[in-house]
Amino acid sequence: MIWKIALRNIIKNARRSITTALAIGIGGLAALLFGGFVTSIWYGVQTSMIQEQGNLQIYRNGYLEFGAANPDAYTIQNWDQVAALLAADAMLAENLSVITPRIDLAGVAGNAETGNSKTFIGTGIVPSEVDQMRGWDGWSIGQTGTVTGLAAGGSDSVIVGLGMARMMGMCEALAVPNCQDAPIVEEDLTGEEQDFSALVEEEGGLGDQGAGASKPQLNVMAATSAGVPNIARVGIEAAQAQSVRAIDNSFVMMHFEQARSLLYGDSQEATALMLQVVDPAMVDAVKTRVVEVLNGAGLDLSVYHLTEVDPTFDRIFGMFSFIFVVVAIVLSIVIVFTIVNTISMTIVERVKEIGTIRALGFRKGFVRALFLTESTLIGVIGAAVALGGAIIVSNMVNAAGLQWTPPSNATPLTVQLMVLDNPIFAAAVVGTLIAIAFAAAVLPTFKAARLNIVESLQRA
Amino acid sequence: MNTLNDPQSFAYDQTAGPILSAAAEPAVSFENLSKTYRMDRIEVPALRGVSGQIERADTTFIKGPSGSGKSTLLNLLGLLDRPTGGQLTILGEDVTRLSDRAAADFRAQHIGFVFQGFNLIPVLSVRENVEFPLLNRKMSAAARKDRAMEYLDAVGLSEFVDRRPGEISGGQRQRVAIARALVSEPSLVIADEPTANLDTKTSREIVDLMDRVRTELNTSVVICTHDTDLITPDSSVIHIIDGQTAKE
Repeated sequence: MIWKIALRNIIKNARRSITTALAIGIGGLAALLFGGFVTSIWYGVQTSMIQEQGNLQIYRNGYLEFGAANPDAYTIQNWDQVAALLAADAMLAENLSVITPRIDLAGVAGNAETGNSKTFIGTGIVPSEVDQMRGWDGWSIGQTGTVTGLAAGGSDSVIVGLGMARMMGMCEALAVPNCQDAPIVEEDLTGEEQDFSALVEEEGGLGDQGAGASKPQLNVMAATSAGVPNIARVGIEAAQAQSVRAIDNSFVMMHFEQARSLLYGDSQEATALMLQVVDPAMVDAVKTRVVEVLNGAGLDLSVYHLTEVDPTFDRIFGMFSFIFVVVAIVLSIVIVFTIVNTISMTIVERVKEIGTIRALGFRKGFVRALFLTESTLIGVIGAAVALGGAIIVSNMVNAAGLQWTPPSNATPLTVQLMVLDNPIFAAAVVGTLIAIAFAAAVLPTFKAARLNIVESLQRA
Repeated sequence: MNTLNDPQSFAYDQTAGPILSAAAEPAVSFENLSKTYRMDRIEVPALRGVSGQIERADTTFIKGPSGSGKSTLLNLLGLLDRPTGGQLTILGEDVTRLSDRAAADFRAQHIGFVFQGFNLIPVLSVRENVEFPLLNRKMSAAARKDRAMEYLDAVGLSEFVDRRPGEISGGQRQRVAIARALVSEPSLVIADEPTANLDTKTSREIVDLMDRVRTELNTSVVICTHDTDLITPDSSVIHIIDGQTAKE
């Protein structure tokens, strides 16, 4: 009967009920859509990073803490044997799709044609394996990365950042649109630059090597682990924008073997091993198993989750989560005031009814239950509006194919408002809306229940 | 169909109904009952030591001019308000200082109300309004419905059960209110100006109906009214003037 009275009063005061339900619905709609966007960030950005770096990374103990100062002292020795060890484990073989090495390096790059040179930061990867990683879509969100572009070129080909291409004066040679080459350096080479040039000649001029010979050439020089400068002439396969300008201005991606031979000669060393897990739900179990295998072999290595190595994801997700919380609080306040106003008006209009109910022998709790039920029902209607609206709007936005570029990415991601992809979140929003509708009515209903019966009955 | 002209006895459940017996004490007795309202810092006495009693299965009229305190006395007898002083006993129980919850439970069990303005719940149908007080009882929905139909039948409204209060006449609404007051089979029915909003003919019918209820259900009825035409010579009357009982 309480539900019947509540529902009929909602219908009786249709305009007010609709206004209140719409306030709840629009607030909930905003929360669900923004939450759906944050959910897509959670999946999308993480997928991008896993495509680039794998779910797990193995480093030599101490690398993350001290490796930046002396990277050569913290390399993984005989990385190929470590990879083979992991691949031989049945559990890991089943759950890992890729085990691939990476070398991080830095040095000086120069364009002999233009006389431009500058420092570079680079990475050496196995293109075919990284390309495989970029096809990962563990959460089935339909997001696959682009291939590196290195696999098509020869072993001496590289990819450079757009800024690097510009500063090396290679925009025209690489046919990069909207890119202006740096001025050609006319002065005579002196000092260190002369030494760099001399070193190239000392290396036999390096010549035009392999498949890279037909491409714009770049000389890259880095110090070997013994501290001796080593140099290679590489062909630039393409220029690709990087996410951060400072990196874009210095970026060189090369073949792992090229980087390894440049730094370590014949020694099988790598900065890190990147592991990509087939099923993201298995990451923790895989990490545990990798630790067991490495410790079992007595290796001085550590395994890190992606977010431990690169805090970008946590920061991006944290930022949007914080914004969501602020928005949710503001929306909640608006909803609370709307409901308090609605229920208070309802109570004022029904004072005589309250007095009658109390006179008929119903306790205060019944009066409270009556109005709380009404408020909760409005909350349910509002939540249904929010959920239905969110599904419709999210489908429209998703179909529109809007794009945005997260701070961690060089390439844009398609906006996907994942409203129902996180059912726990959607259920939490719906539940919270109903809970707010209930809670907001508590104070007015307690006041209603405390009304003096005689005075209530005398109300016109 | 049962109407006022063709009355059918109320199917009264003797085991669950009024707790009075023929040899019992008065249904209600009040001794030196007083009520003072406080308005800001001014105390306004509404009742000044009123005493009296209401016999079992009797109809008692409370009459008096406006502002005399008759409604205040009625509110005290119905446990809608607490006296400032004196003692009130209903069905042998001292109810002078009952807690709010205990008073609510007592009203639910033993007291029925008929209001001047009918006070029906507008969103409920006629049958649902009559059924409403039974929510306080441990009864199945079907049993509640049957009981409500029984009382609506007795007040001659079985054809209007699905209508809303706004869709029936004033007299019919008051009959619904009477059915609602009786459906929980109380020992005491309190009616505050039940005919004030009705024409003379309907008023007489309502009073006759309540009188029949009193007879058939063995229920004590207290009617507060300033319409002396309703009071029959054999009725018990409590006359209130200036917050005190006046000699008849």
